[in-house]
Amino acid sequence: MKQNRFLLALLSMTFIFSACEKDDGEGNDEEVITTLSVKLTPVGGGATSTFSFDDPDGPGGIAPTVDAIQLAANTVYNVSLELFNKTLNPPANLTTEISGEAEAHRFYFEPSASGNIQVTGLDLDGANIPLGLNSVWSTGNAANGTMKIVLRHYSGNPPNKAVSDPVNSNKSSTDIEVTFNTVVN
Amino acid sequence: MKYFICLLFAFLSFYSNAQECVSRLSGHVHNSFTHENLDRATITIVELNRVKITNNRGDFVFDSLCNGNYTIRVVYNQQDSIFQSISVYGNRHLDIDLPLLQNTLSGITVSAQRTHQVTGIKKELSGRELEETRGQTLGEALSRINGVSMLQTGATISKPVIHGLHGSRILTINNGVRQEGQQWGNEHAPEIDPFIANRLTVIKGVEELRYGSDAIGGVILVDPRPLRNLPGYQAELNTVYFSNNRQYVVSAQYEQQLTKRPEFTYRLQGTLKKGANTTTPHYRLNNTGNEEKNFSLSGVYRKNRFISELYYSFFDTRIGLFEGSHIGNLTDLEAAIASDKPDPVFTGENTYRIGRPYQRVQHHLVKSRSVFQTAGNHRFSFLLAAQFNDRQEFDVTRSQTTTRPQLDLGIFTVTEELTWETAGPVHFNRITGLTAMQQQNRYSGRYFIPDYNSNSWGLYHIERWNHLAWDAQAGIRIDHKNISTSRITGGGAVQEKNDFQYTTFASSLNIGNRIDEHWRVNGTLTLSNRAPHVNELLSNGIHHGTSTYEQGNRDLKPERSLNFSFNNTFTSESGNVILEGSFYNNNIKNFIYLQPKPDEPVLTIAGAFPKNVYEQADVRLRGFDLLASFRPFQNFEWNNKYSLLRAKNNNINDWLIRMPSDRFQSEFIYNLTDRKKIKNAYISTEAIYVWEQTRVPDESNGKQDYKLPPSGYFLWNADVSLSVLAGKFPLIFGIGLRNILNTTYRDYLNAMRYFTDEAGRNIQFRLRIPINQTF
Repeated sequence: MKQNRFLLALLSMTFIFSACEKDDGEGNDEEVITTLSVKLTPVGGGATSTFSFDDPDGPGGIAPTVDAIQLAANTVYNVSLELFNKTLNPPANLTTEISGEAEAHRFYFEPSASGNIQVTGLDLDGANIPLGLNSVWSTGNAANGTMKIVLRHYSGNPPNKAVSDPVNSNKSSTDIEVTFNTVVN
Repeated sequence: MKYFICLLFAFLSFYSNAQECVSRLSGHVHNSFTHENLDRATITIVELNRVKITNNRGDFVFDSLCNGNYTIRVVYNQQDSIFQSISVYGNRHLDIDLPLLQNTLSGITVSAQRTHQVTGIKKELSGRELEETRGQTLGEALSRINGVSMLQTGATISKPVIHGLHGSRILTINNGVRQEGQQWGNEHAPEIDPFIANRLTVIKGVEELRYGSDAIGGVILVDPRPLRNLPGYQAELNTVYFSNNRQYVVSAQYEQQLTKRPEFTYRLQGTLKKGANTTTPHYRLNNTGNEEKNFSLSGVYRKNRFISELYYSFFDTRIGLFEGSHIGNLTDLEAAIASDKPDPVFTGENTYRIGRPYQRVQHHLVKSRSVFQTAGNHRFSFLLAAQFNDRQEFDVTRSQTTTRPQLDLGIFTVTEELTWETAGPVHFNRITGLTAMQQQNRYSGRYFIPDYNSNSWGLYHIERWNHLAWDAQAGIRIDHKNISTSRITGGGAVQEKNDFQYTTFASSLNIGNRIDEHWRVNGTLTLSNRAPHVNELLSNGIHHGTSTYEQGNRDLKPERSLNFSFNNTFTSESGNVILEGSFYNNNIKNFIYLQPKPDEPVLTIAGAFPKNVYEQADVRLRGFDLLASFRPFQNFEWNNKYSLLRAKNNNINDWLIRMPSDRFQSEFIYNLTDRKKIKNAYISTEAIYVWEQTRVPDESNGKQDYKLPPSGYFLWNADVSLSVLAGKFPLIFGIGLRNILNTTYRDYLNAMRYFTDEAGRNIQFRLRIPINQTF
């Protein structure tokens, strides 16, 4: 009798447990960023070109592809960044997530000295501190170099983001750190 | 190994014709409420009319007994006598817990715990030592056992390490059931409320085989006090407060045997715990709070020769992880490690609030065990248990509005076990068991280990024998396990499946000898095999705690351990000197470990991560644990413990990483003489020295660790306890002082050593109120 009652209890437990079974797969991992696209539009007209760091299967697995950024010499570009998570189907655009929480994010641009690219005009968050989703790049004479783009994330509440924060501030941590080769010609 | 077993059986059959009565029943009587040793308790074997009186340590011994079933009677303070039936086959040790109350002795209930009949390595924590750990984690409590250390992640997450081995190399047996959670992670602590236990035992050798063939490191038994077997009720209230993190703990239990239905006894038990942020001597660590809510229900039905037990427990914890250790990429990690102390943005908050990153773990266990004793000497038991473990890890996320966990693992396990215990020919006693397990693992969120279904079965047999001063135990076990894994990637487009099958074998032989009344030696040789765990086969991803990319290896073979240990115990005539030494040598073939690959960094969008790959090597762990206990004067005890371990990778002749360093502990206890209202008072003080770990992997072939091991450290602790009779019930007060000197130190086995100091001074206030009423 006692055993029967127990089995009943066990069966009902099994039912409860299977009710809280997990969703299969990694489909809901909203934290993954697979792709950073850099869109360059020449000021004063011209075609927009896009260059990407793309790792559609996420960290590990197949190695990411990194485009070399091609720019024309002595030209000014409006640059906008876009972020995607391609492990989801359909891929998710994460750009608005960053702009929506601009106070907790900041892009840094570190062009190599030899590359002849200058980055200015970073857009600002609501508190007038640089965000960097949009910026202005100016090229000099033909040169080869690199451009490191870093996205830092402020996890504090409030984030305490400040203009003077260096890229390696202890208040923030790295979400993206990508180095592109650049070709100005 | 086969050779040894054959030798043993040849040896045994040679002796089995002898008919002498040479069994030995030793035991210990203590008050389960005050943990006082009871001297001058009278123990009688009714059938033989033999009487022994306990000495001032509560010990008694009957020699030259014939094997068989006996009734023993325990009388203390000329009160009611209690009868207990026991079976004696070979050497039997009986711990008798008398839940007595001082001066209000309305009756005695005896609950002779079926202590594990272990003659190999067995070390336990109970009584005073266990009481001093109340409110701490299970790992911290176990680390008081000589030879056991702990692998920590901050002050609130700790895993036991036995002779250098941890995780899935150690089996934790929670109230008779093999605990099945996510034990593979270094930051995954055992999901057990320590208040359930009144005894924690570490065993190695033959008895391991009852629980699995994979207990390469040993087995930890977490045993509750047996349910009372006398009409009436008893209750206990425990409260603990810790000054360091303002942690309070309340734990209560109530148990009752119905007067009208004395065959039925039940117990309710529950614990609440909440702690704020921990402080080190110089700064307080943000987001290091914890909270825990646990409860358990148990009921037992005893009728004639039948016992049926039903048990349910629920464990629920939420543990904050220090924010300054949550690292975005390798550059951030190296910057955080390079600084002497965490950045001020991560320190200084004194709050109970837990934010991201944190982990939440729930564990359900339901168990039924039925035992039937035949009129002859057969005992059958059937165990059926189900467990569900849900681990959720909440990382720091980009979006403040995210409420979901980033890693969610659920594991559901059903186990069945049938055992048959019987007395064989004279001098023999044996146990045979058949076990089976079905397991299902599911995950969502970040990938670390895949979904899998696993089925396993096991069969074991243990023989125990004793004759004159000799005793021997031998056992064999076989397990078969199959695992089917599945991972869905590419947004549902790709399904990756892998199947694995392992058959593992274990056997163990223990031979003991009493050289004389005071000196006992025994040697144990154990072969065990552990199949690789799913995380070792298939993990693939960034381990955020260590900022490394971990990659599994599908071609791993089971680990094979051959462990030899030799133990010596000397007890002087008066019991004033006790010396113990355990020496061990554990050779493990195909030991699975993470090998850093400094030349193959993994490029991700967050930068490059160092890659660690699971590999196998032949290793050797050897060392010893020493204990020397003296009682130079009445009321005064001096206990010393020393443990040493040397762990080497034989393939490359290099030291293994993350192995405990040498440790010495010395403790003085002064027991005050009992007064009319104040009893069991003592003052103790303890000094601990932990050496710097200088035996670490050579870095000349590439980086193996982020930081050199911290220097050795000295800690000074103290404890005071007394029991005051307030009306009918005693109040047992205790004050424990940890790290009295507020020493700044870091421990090599704490993952937080890269970022922060260990906790500073901590004062623990304990109050326990036992209540007992017998009708």
